[in-house]
Amino acid sequence: MEIARRTFLKSAGALGLLALIPQRALSAVFASAPAPGHAGRFLNAHELDTLRAVCGRFIPGPPEDPDPGAAEAMVPEAIDMLLGAFTFDPPLIHAGGPYSNRPPPNGHDSFADFVPLDRHAELGWRIRIEGTKGIKAREFAGPVVGLQQIYRSGIAHLDARAAPAKFVDLPAPLQDVILADLTDSDVQTFVGAALANTFEAMYGPPEYGGNKGLAGWKYTNWPGDVQPAGYTNDQVSKPDPGGTRLSVASAKAIEKFLPALGGRAAPRDAWWLGRASIVRS
Amino acid sequence: MARSAIVVGSGAGGSAAAWALAKAGWDVLILEKGRHLLPGLGTPSGPRTLFGNDEVKAGRYFENQDIVLEPRTSRTQDEAKNGTAYSFIGDVNTLPTVVGGGTIHWDAKTPRFWKQDFTMLSDHGPVSDANVADWPLTYRDLAPFYDEVEELLGVQGDIHKMPKTTLQQAPRKKQFPMPPNPPMYGGSLIAEGAKQLGYHAYPFPMAVNSRAYAGRPRCNSCGFCSGYGCPIQARGGAAVSFLHDALLAGARLEPRAFVYKVRTNAKGTRVTGVSYLDDNGGKHHASADVVILALSAIETARLLLMSRTSKFPNGLANRSDMVGRNLMFHFFTAALAVFVGEVHAWRGPSTTFTIDDFVGPEKNAVIKAAGLPYVKGGICEVGASTLLLEEAQSYAAIPNTWGLPHKELMRVSPARSHFAALNMVGEDLPQVNNRVDLDPSTKDVYGFPVPRITYSSHNHELVASAFYGPKLAAICAAAPGAIAGTFLPLFLLNKVGGSVATFSQTRHIFGTARMGHDPKTSVADAWGRAHDLDNLYLADGSVFPTSGGFNPSLTIMALSLRMARRLAGKH
Repeated sequence: MEIARRTFLKSAGALGLLALIPQRALSAVFASAPAPGHAGRFLNAHELDTLRAVCGRFIPGPPEDPDPGAAEAMVPEAIDMLLGAFTFDPPLIHAGGPYSNRPPPNGHDSFADFVPLDRHAELGWRIRIEGTKGIKAREFAGPVVGLQQIYRSGIAHLDARAAPAKFVDLPAPLQDVILADLTDSDVQTFVGAALANTFEAMYGPPEYGGNKGLAGWKYTNWPGDVQPAGYTNDQVSKPDPGGTRLSVASAKAIEKFLPALGGRAAPRDAWWLGRASIVRS
Repeated sequence: MARSAIVVGSGAGGSAAAWALAKAGWDVLILEKGRHLLPGLGTPSGPRTLFGNDEVKAGRYFENQDIVLEPRTSRTQDEAKNGTAYSFIGDVNTLPTVVGGGTIHWDAKTPRFWKQDFTMLSDHGPVSDANVADWPLTYRDLAPFYDEVEELLGVQGDIHKMPKTTLQQAPRKKQFPMPPNPPMYGGSLIAEGAKQLGYHAYPFPMAVNSRAYAGRPRCNSCGFCSGYGCPIQARGGAAVSFLHDALLAGARLEPRAFVYKVRTNAKGTRVTGVSYLDDNGGKHHASADVVILALSAIETARLLLMSRTSKFPNGLANRSDMVGRNLMFHFFTAALAVFVGEVHAWRGPSTTFTIDDFVGPEKNAVIKAAGLPYVKGGICEVGASTLLLEEAQSYAAIPNTWGLPHKELMRVSPARSHFAALNMVGEDLPQVNNRVDLDPSTKDVYGFPVPRITYSSHNHELVASAFYGPKLAAICAAAPGAIAGTFLPLFLLNKVGGSVATFSQTRHIFGTARMGHDPKTSVADAWGRAHDLDNLYLADGSVFPTSGGFNPSLTIMALSLRMARRLAGKH
C-alpha cells in the first residue's frame, strides 16, 4: 500500500511542476520559425516549402481571398513543430490550462505551459508521430505508420505526380487537381492527415504555433477561448445584433452536409487516423 | 478492524462507492488505469484544472482513451456469423481514461429513469430477438439515492416546469438544489417549435452550477462543455463531487494502475483481491475484503473474461454466460433546424432543454406491422451546434471541401451559427448476441487482449428512429425563424459510417453483466453483487438490464451509492 501512495504523490507532483518552456521561450520559438527555403524541426527545406503550398491550397489567403490563409497563419510551421514535437521538452502536444488571458498582457498565459506527457502518453504520441518503426514495444497492436512517414512519403508522392516539375512549382489550379484526385489513395492518405492538422493549427489556440494573429478566429468571427469571462445571460439567451444571414437556397444546399455529422471513417489499413464523429453526447 | 475495499475505476460508479465506504470508515484503495489530471484533488487546497477552451487538446487524447495504446475492435452480428474476426479497429465508444472517468468531460445531464423502465417485460411482454428483462429493483428503491446524488453533484432544474408524465414516472419530493442556467437562444426557438406542435420542452436537469455550490463557481456558459473538461469546475462529477472527499476521508488513489486480473480463493467462492500493473509496468497484488468493479460496461466485462480460472472457465462470475452479453449503446436520431439568422447554439452547456414526449413506449399499427409490440425513444438534446474546429472537420467529411469553398463555409458558418440540433438519445434493446469478448489477436499496450464488440441494431431501433425522426424534424421546422428542418435516421447513419463505431458513439454503454433475481440468467443481484462470488460487486452501467431512454450516469451513481450503503451497514 506504501507503493500506491508514492505513485500517487509522484504523478501528482509531476503535474505540479511548471512546464519547462516558459511563455517567453515559446514566443521565441515561434519568432524564429524557418523562413521559406530553410529546414524545419522535422521537414527539410523542400518538404516544408511543399507543405506551405499544400496548406495554401487548403485554406487560401491573399490574393485569392481577402483574409489570411493557412500559410499566412504559420500553419505549415505549426505542423512541422508537431512532427518534431519530441525536439521540445515538454513536447508541444497538450497545451496547459485553464486560461490564456488573451490578449496579452492580461496576465499569465497558462496555455503556454505545455503539460508534460507521462510514460504512457509519450509512448502513444511517439507511435502516432514516429510510427512503430519495427520496435517491438510499439507493435503490440500491429505496425502503425507514423505522421512523419505519412508526410514524408506524401510529399514525395506529390512530386512524383507533378513530375517532371516539382509540386511546389506547379500553378495553383494544377496543384488542386492533384490534391483533389480521389482515385489516388496515396494522395488521399496524405490529404486526410494534412487537412486535419491544417484545421487544428488554423482554428486551434495559437500556442500550438499556428493561428498567427488569431487569423483563423478573426475571419470566422470566433471568440476563441473565453474563460474565465464566459458569456452574459443576454449573450446566451438573446440573439446577437448583426451576424450573417442565410438564404433559403443556401440552407437547402447545406442540408447535404447533414450526413457529415456522422463523422469520417478512417481507411481500414490506417485505422489510427480515425477521428471521432462530432455528434456529441 | 476496518473493512477494506478495492475499487477498480474512478468514474461515476467507482467514486460514489469509494466515497460512501471511506466515509463509513472503510480502508479504500481506488485503482484507475488513466492519468491523474487534477493536481490538488484530495488535498485541502482542492483540485486545480489543466483544462481550457482548447479544441485541439480535446482531440489529442489528453483525457480520452488513446486508441493507439488501447484500441478496440468491432464487427456486426452478420460478420460474426461469417467468421469475420473484426471489421473495424480504433475508437468504439471509448470513455475518458483518466481520474474521474467519463464525468471529467460529460455533458452532466441527469434525468432519472422512469418507473416503467424497471418493469418493461412484465408490463409489455417480450420482444422477439431481444432479451428485455425487468430490473430486480424498482424506482422506489432508487429514489432516495437519486435525491442524495443530486444534492452531492449539485443538480439544476425546475420541478414546476417538468411535464406531468415525467413527474408521475419519476416522482420527486422537492425542488432541485439549483435553478436552471440561462436558456440557450437556439434551444429556446426549438422549444417554441415544440410548443407549437403540442410537445413540451423544459429545463434539462444537469449537474452544472447555476450559482456557486459546494465551493465551486457558477457556470458562465463558455460552450466548451460536453467533451471538454471544465476550465472552472462549475460542473459536478465523480472527481469533484465524490473522489475529492473520499480522498480527504482517507481513501487512496493510484492512477495509471491497470488491473488485469481479479483474484479468487482456491474454492472459487470469494474474491481475494486484484493484480495490476503500475505506471512502469511493475506487477502488484492488492487484497481486500471486497472488490468493486466500476470500469464501465465494456471494460468490466473484459476484466471478468480475462480473470477466468479453472472454477470459472468462461470468465469470472460468468456461470450464467451473460458476462459481455446484452451490450447496449443508446442510438442517436439527429434532427436539425436551419435558421436564417445566427443562433449561436454553441454558447452554453451544450443544451439547456429536453423533451420527454418521445420516451414511449409507442404502440400502433405501423409498429405492429414491423413485428414489434412497441417502440421506445428517449430524451432529446435540444439546440446544440458545433465549435469552430469541429465545424471545419464536419465540412471536410464531404470529399474535397477545401480551398475557397471551405473559407466561404466557415465565414457563413451554417453548422456552427445557423444550425441548432435536436438529438434524440434512444433506448437500445438488449440482445444476447450484442456482446463484448476478448479479441483473439489484437493486444493493447499492456499486452492483454482488447475488447471486441459485436453489435448490430435491433429492428426496434431502426423502426423507432424512423418513427420519431420526422416528429423531431417537424419540431425543428416549426421553430420561429427556421427555414428548414430535417433529420437523419439511424439506418442512414449506419450506411454512412458503415461501422458500429460511427453511429453508436453516444458513449452510453450498458448491460454486459446484467442484474436480476435469477443466477441462471443474470450476473449480479439487485445490489450489484455477483451471484457467483460473495464479495465481488459491480458498480457501473454493466448491471443495467435495459437501457432506458435516459443518460445513465445519475442512475449508475445512485445504484452504486445504494450498494455501498448496504455494504457499510453490514459492517
